[in-house]
Amino acid sequence: MEFITVKKDSNILITISGRLDTSSSDEFLREMTPVLEGDEKSVEIDCTNLEYVSSQGLRIFLMLQKKVVARQGQMTLVNLRPYIKEVFHITGFTKIINII
Amino acid sequence: MKKRFDPVAGCNADIITCITSSEEVRSANDDIQFKVRLCVEEVEENILAYSGTTWLEVWTAIEEGYLAIGFRDGGVKFDPTIAKDPDIMAPVDKRAIGGLGIFICKQMMNVLDYRYEDGCNVFVMKIKLP
Repeated sequence: MEFITVKKDSNILITISGRLDTSSSDEFLREMTPVLEGDEKSVEIDCTNLEYVSSQGLRIFLMLQKKVVARQGQMTLVNLRPYIKEVFHITGFTKIINII
Repeated sequence: MKKRFDPVAGCNADIITCITSSEEVRSANDDIQFKVRLCVEEVEENILAYSGTTWLEVWTAIEEGYLAIGFRDGGVKFDPTIAKDPDIMAPVDKRAIGGLGIFICKQMMNVLDYRYEDGCNVFVMKIKLP
C-alpha cells in the first residue's frame, strides 16, 4: 500500500493506493495514527486507487470517523470503486461516512 | 481443488491464493471473484483466530449452479454462522469497531453452512453462479 498525506491548516488530504487487507491494515493504522490523534476538522481520503478493502480496513475507517466526528469535523471519502463502495454499503458505512 | 495446510501457521496469504487461483474461482466473473476473495479472507481470519487449529483443509467445487468454498479444521468447536451481527443502523458514536467480517460473508454469499463432524469444524459457503 501507499499513502500520501498533505496537511494544510485544519484540513488533511490522504491518498491511498493498493490493497487494504489484513496484511496491510497495521501499516494503514500506523499511518493514520497522527490523524487519529490530531485536531484536523476536515479529512478527505482519495480512494481512486484503492483496489480492495477487508473488514480490517473498514474498522480503521470507522475509528477515523469516530475521532473526526468527536471533534466536530467531517471525513469524506472520494472516488471509491464500485466493488468497494458495495462493501461500504452492505456494512452500513455509507450511512455514517460521507462518500462522494 | 482441495488442499491441506499442515501446519497452517503463517499460511494466511497462501490459503487465499490457493482458493482464488483455483479453476473454479478463476472461471467466475469479476464480481464473484471479488466477493470470494473478500469472504475467504474474512472466514480464514476468523477460523485461525478462534478455532486455534494447527491445520486447515480448503476446497472449491461447482455444485448445482453454486460456487462452493469449503474449510475443515481440527480446532475447538467454532461456528462462524452464529456470530452476532453488528447494528449497521447505529449512529457512528454507537457503532462497534469489529464484528464485520462474518457479516460481510452473510451479505455476499448465498449459503453459509457449518457442521461439527468427526471432531472437526466444517464450514462451507456458496455463491450462486449466473
